Amino acid sequence: MDNLARALPRIAGLALASVSFLAVTAAQAKEITIWCWDPNFNVAIMKEAGARYTKTHPDVTFNVVDFAKTDVEQKLQTGLASGTADALPDIVLIEDYGAQKYLQSFPGAFAPLSGTVDYSGFAPYKVQVMTVDGQVYGMPFDSGVTGLYYRKDYLEQAGFKPEDMQNLTWDRFIEIGQQVEEKTGKKMMGLDPNDAGLVRIIMQSAGQWYFDTDGKANVTGNPALKAALETVGKIMSANIYKPAAGWSDWVGTFTSGDVAAVVTGVWITGTVKAQPDQAGKWGVVPIPALSIDGATHASNLGGSSWYVLESSAEKAEAIDFLNEIYGKDIDFYQTILQDRGAVGSLLAARGGAAYEAADPFFGGEKVWQNFSDWLAKVPSVNYGIFTNEADTAVTAQLPALTQGTPVDDVLKAIDAEVSAQIQ
Amino acid sequence: MVHARRGGIGRYYDVNGWLFVAPVLGLIGLFMIYPIFWSLWMSFQSGRGMMMKFVGFGNIVRLWNDPVFIKALTNTMTYFVVQVPIMILLALILASILNNPRLVGRGLFRTAIFLPCVTSLVAYSVLFKGMFATDGVVNSTLAALGVIASPIPWLTHPFWAKVLVIIAITWRWTGYNMIFYLAALQNIDRSIYEVARIDGVPAWARFTHITVPLLKPVILFTTVISTIGTVQLFDEVYNLTEGRGGPSNATLTLSLYIYNLTFRFMPNFGYAATVSYVIVVLVALLAFFQFFAARERDK
Repeated sequence: MDNLARALPRIAGLALASVSFLAVTAAQAKEITIWCWDPNFNVAIMKEAGARYTKTHPDVTFNVVDFAKTDVEQKLQTGLASGTADALPDIVLIEDYGAQKYLQSFPGAFAPLSGTVDYSGFAPYKVQVMTVDGQVYGMPFDSGVTGLYYRKDYLEQAGFKPEDMQNLTWDRFIEIGQQVEEKTGKKMMGLDPNDAGLVRIIMQSAGQWYFDTDGKANVTGNPALKAALETVGKIMSANIYKPAAGWSDWVGTFTSGDVAAVVTGVWITGTVKAQPDQAGKWGVVPIPALSIDGATHASNLGGSSWYVLESSAEKAEAIDFLNEIYGKDIDFYQTILQDRGAVGSLLAARGGAAYEAADPFFGGEKVWQNFSDWLAKVPSVNYGIFTNEADTAVTAQLPALTQGTPVDDVLKAIDAEVSAQIQ
Repeated sequence: MVHARRGGIGRYYDVNGWLFVAPVLGLIGLFMIYPIFWSLWMSFQSGRGMMMKFVGFGNIVRLWNDPVFIKALTNTMTYFVVQVPIMILLALILASILNNPRLVGRGLFRTAIFLPCVTSLVAYSVLFKGMFATDGVVNSTLAALGVIASPIPWLTHPFWAKVLVIIAITWRWTGYNMIFYLAALQNIDRSIYEVARIDGVPAWARFTHITVPLLKPVILFTTVISTIGTVQLFDEVYNLTEGRGGPSNATLTLSLYIYNLTFRFMPNFGYAATVSYVIVVLVALLAFFQFFAARERDK
């Protein structure tokens, strides 16, 4: 009796303490808001990453918001420009071409991760696009390492074996395209004259970009750009392409079986494999190379990375989350590769089992292993801050190129437009 | 006593009146007047994103040396010069035909022609994109009729892309203008037409000498409205060309260029504001000329 009476206050105190302890933990529960696009790719992958982190950090929850890519960019740009950070997320996905633009035009808006993340483990070209004045911002995410996807059945009909597709030059690629059309009636590839993606792929494969390492326009004296434009001009005049208007139309050229090949980033794999009736008919080889100095069979198209907003109330948690999952979790990379076809840029993840698996869709080829080998060979370039402007200037001149305007004149016109735009 | 001051100058001192309109005035000031002046101030600045600095007339100088701006301006004026007259004339003719009381099913025709302008902008653009694709229904129909030998590259050739945009906006807005004319036609006394018919005036002359002159105020109104709409053209081009104004900038409009300058390119809010003011000046000038031309003919 006596003891209990004496113990009661202590029990009550203990109970009170545990209640308030719970209350404190509840108050500390953090929600990280993330903006990204593509429900089947980035959004799904981010949800997977969030679920993994929540297992070890139950106090952190995730709110992955799915927008269209242009909407993410527009909302981010408006939010940053308005100067009020309330409407912004904690983490945002930015395409690599635009990274420098955001980092340089909104200084202080993004949190530097240099001290936290070990960037030596990532593909160097991915790290370079997020470096400003020696500070590295962002967490490198998916790679746009390129490949040449081709229909084995069509090429076989035209008399080519898979070996014939290895180590191609662009000239050889065009020759093959002409023979494919002769024998099968199929065009070699789809091409959207409003999209300079192919020019960018070819240019970067020879280690050049619209801008030099100092960010100055590099157009008229750029052998890789010149060769890229000549190549696209040859493809157009050889008429081995099916014209496409816009993205879905372009995707339709190969999902419908109208064309024999696709030269693009690895992220298209999921779309190619979405046609189960084409299983076993596709192969993947390195892209053709130019015949100029510095030419390689490896390049990049697109790809994006995660950035933490400096103004975020959950900045510390957001950085820790990205570092834990995207910076270290090898198993996570195996999962997103298997589930979503995402080739991350963490080099250590390449040793995992999923990368070594053979893919029956591609006739048992070890495509992931190949892509990760090519990933390490992608030449680093400076995307600068005006890639969208330069890209528009290039697409504006593509019709002139097909009408037989000399490449040097085309380069001058592109240079004039780029110079007028970059100020 | 308050009642005694009603009317005349006294009305301006009525506190209650001002109190009633104050919230609206405040909102108009905040959301209309302030942005107008702020954007005017912005048009004298330039820079990347947040790092803006005063450049005086630098942006206006830049306009002259900017091939993309010149292209966008030329395209916009091409749409205006080609599309507005076609649409106005078409709407007038359609309205005259559909105003005929002896026409069977004219309610149905009126609805059918008016319907496009109440459909969703995005939906119809997407539909047009599909219909005018290289192997779309339009090309296959034309080929089946023997009009064309090879498919017209509606979306991938600079000239045809422009034609497609004109077709699209004509399809959408002709019915809208037609409704104005129909309403105005109902107000014209039918006896005028009867007299003309008795006097042996042919149908075409009745149209040009009676209908058109009597509809002049409405024609002026629709022309000004269509001018403003065309100079601000954005949605159709954005949706038909995936926001790029291609191919080869052939369909780029001023509004789409403003969008690019703010959201797709390196954000330069100052320069974008300058281009916006070009549209303001352009609309004001064109509307002024149209009013001026209409007044001249009145004499």
